[in-house]
Amino acid sequence: MSNFAFKGGLKLENPYPTNEIDLIRIPLPKKVVLPMQQRIGEQAKPIVSVGEHVLTGQIIATIDDDLCAPVHASISGTVVAIDEHVHAHKSGLKGLCVTIESDGKDNWVDTSIGCTEQYELCTPETIYNKIRVSGIVGMGGAGFPTHTKVRLAEGCHTLIVNATECEPGITCDASLMLAYPTKVIRGAEVLLHVTGAERAIIAIEDDKPEAITLLKKYCKNDRIIIEEIPTKYTSGSEKILVKSLLGIEIPSGKFASDVDVLCLNVGTVVAIFDAVVENRPLISRAVTVAGTAVKVPKNLQVRLGASYDYLLGFTDYQTGRHKVTMAGMMMGIELQGTDYSVSKNTNCIFVDIDEKNSTEVVKECIRCGICNTVCPVGLLPQQLYWYSKAKNIEKALEYNLVDCIECGCCSYVCPSRLPLIDYYQFSKALHRQQVKDKVQTDKARNRFEFREMRLERNKRERTEMMEAKKRELKEKMAKDKTQKNIIEEAVKRVSSSKVNNKVEDEQ
Amino acid sequence: MFDAISTLSLLTLVLGLGLGYAALRYKVEGNPLVDQIDAILPQTQCGQCDFPGCRPYAEAMAKGEAEINQCPPGGQEGVDALAELLNIDTMPLNEEHGEPEPKRIAVVDENVCIGCTLCIQACPVDAFVGSSKVMTTVIADECTGCDLCIPVCPVDCIEMVEVKSTFRNYVPDIAELEHV
Repeated sequence: MSNFAFKGGLKLENPYPTNEIDLIRIPLPKKVVLPMQQRIGEQAKPIVSVGEHVLTGQIIATIDDDLCAPVHASISGTVVAIDEHVHAHKSGLKGLCVTIESDGKDNWVDTSIGCTEQYELCTPETIYNKIRVSGIVGMGGAGFPTHTKVRLAEGCHTLIVNATECEPGITCDASLMLAYPTKVIRGAEVLLHVTGAERAIIAIEDDKPEAITLLKKYCKNDRIIIEEIPTKYTSGSEKILVKSLLGIEIPSGKFASDVDVLCLNVGTVVAIFDAVVENRPLISRAVTVAGTAVKVPKNLQVRLGASYDYLLGFTDYQTGRHKVTMAGMMMGIELQGTDYSVSKNTNCIFVDIDEKNSTEVVKECIRCGICNTVCPVGLLPQQLYWYSKAKNIEKALEYNLVDCIECGCCSYVCPSRLPLIDYYQFSKALHRQQVKDKVQTDKARNRFEFREMRLERNKRERTEMMEAKKRELKEKMAKDKTQKNIIEEAVKRVSSSKVNNKVEDEQ
Repeated sequence: MFDAISTLSLLTLVLGLGLGYAALRYKVEGNPLVDQIDAILPQTQCGQCDFPGCRPYAEAMAKGEAEINQCPPGGQEGVDALAELLNIDTMPLNEEHGEPEPKRIAVVDENVCIGCTLCIQACPVDAFVGSSKVMTTVIADECTGCDLCIPVCPVDCIEMVEVKSTFRNYVPDIAELEHV
C-alpha cells in the first residue's frame, strides 16, 4: 500500500510543459450556448422560451431522470435561440442547445435558500437535493451526475478526492487547488458529513509539489489525509486509484460504491462546496487551453457555454491549420474546428498546428504483444482488437471488453499505430445496440403472439356466442311450437265443444 | 435358461416402463427448432417473407418448406445466422422479397387521421392506440416498422420515419478504420 504502484500504465511526458498554472478568471462571455444533452442520461427539456429574460444561476432545463442534472443559465440575459448545434462528441451529431445573449449585468437569481455554513444541521437528503438542483456532474470528464453517485455511496468508509489530473498536459485541477485550497478541504468535509465516511484521502500526483504543500498547510482536519502518489498515466482512473490507495480491487462490472468507497474529482468537490455552502449552482469551470498553436498554456475559469474561440482569445493563439482535441491527448476526441462551447465536462482544449500529411500510416497488427504489457486493467488488447474487428462481440465480452477503461495506452504504444480504442468503442456500442435490439424483438414477439392469441380467442368466443344464440333460438322455437300446439288443441277443444253445444242446442 | 429369460424380461419391463415414463414426463411441446429459428428472426412481423409473421415463417423453415433467405429486415447477417443454425450453406438474400432498409417507425399525422381504426386492425404488434372516430397514434417504442399500416390507411396519414441516430444509440463505423 505504501508505494501506490499498479501494473501497466505509462510514464508520459507533458506535451505542453509550463510552470505557470495560475487560474485566470476571464470576463463574462457575450453569448453562451448551453447543450441540453449531457454525457449520459436523457436530454434535458428546456423550460424557458425564446425571448425570455433569464438570471445567472436560473434553471433553464431539467428532466426527471437520476442520470441527468439540470442546466443553469451561466450568464444573465435573453434567450435568443433554442436550436440544434454540433456537440463536442465523437459522432459529430447535432443536439438541442439554449443560446443566451448577455445583458452584461450578471444579475443572479436568488439562491439564498440552502444549507450555507450550517450544513452540519442539514440531513443528507437535503444535501443530495442541493447537489442535484445545482446541476453538478463529474468534472473529471465522465460527467456522471454527482447526486446519484453520492447517494449510491451512502455509508461508505472512505472518500477519495481524485486530484491526480487525468492526463499529461491538463493542469486545470492543479490550478484549481492552488486557487481554492480551502474549498477543496471544506468540500471534502461536507462530503464526510453527508456520507458518514471515516476518512477522506486527497490523492495528488507527485509532479504537483506546490499543490501538495498548499493543501497540507490548509488542512487542519485529521480525518483528511493528503497522499502523494507517483506520476504515472491512468493512476487517476477510479478503479486503479481505489486499488493503489486502499488495496481494494473492484470486481468486474462493479463500481467504487460497491466496495463502499466514494471517489470524486477535485473539481467536483469544489463544485459541491460552492453549491452547499455558498449556494452557487454549477455555472463555470476551469479549462486548460494548450497546444502548439497556443504557445503558453493557460488555465481559464470560464462560464459554461462560452465558445472555444472566446477562450482562445485569451491566449497567444495563432490562426492556421489546426488539430483540435477536447479532453486530452490520450482519451480525448478530435474535433472539427473550434466552433463548440464549453460544457460541464470540458476539462481541456488542445489546439495543435497541423503540419500537412501528419496522419500516420496505419498498418496491420503484428501480434507483438506490447499492448498487453501496458494495459492498466490487465486485459489483452490484441485479442480484443481481433474480435472487435471481426464484430465477434460475444468473444470480446468473454475477454472482458466491458472492463476496458479506454485509456488509450494500447494505441499509444502500438507500433502499427492502430486506433485500438476506436475498435473497442465500436464493440461496446454494438453490444449496447444488440442488447437493446434483443429487448425490442422479445417485446415484438410477445405482442405478436398475444395478438394472435387474442384474435383466436375472439374468433372462438364469437363462434361460441353464435352457437349459443342458435341453440337459444331453437329452444325458443321448440317452446313456441309446444305452446302453439297447446293453443291449437285448446282452440280445437273449444270449437269441438262449440260444435257439440250447437248439436245439443239443435237437439 | 430360465434365469436368463426371466432376467432379460425383467430388464426389458423395467427399462420399458422407465422409457415410457420419461417420454411422458419430459415431453417437448412443439418443435424446439422453431423456437431457435424464431429467436434469430427480427420479429418485424412484416410478412415480406410471404408468411403471416415471423413464427409462421420459422415453422415453414423448420419443415423445410421455405428458404432461409426470405427475410429482408434480418439482412444478410440474419441469413448467415440461420444457415449456421441449420447447418446448411448460406445464400444471398432473395431480392424478390425486398431489400434491407434502415429501421423506421410509423408516425400518424394526427390532423389528417379520421379514426377509421383500419391501421389498428392491420398492426401485427398492437402498436396503435385509438378508437373509432377519434385520432389514432403510434407507440413509437412498440412499432417494428413493418409497413403493414401504410396500404390500409384511406387518407394516407401514416408516414414511415427513419429512426435518427442519437448520442445514446450512436455506433461508430469501423469501416472508416480499415487500413492496408
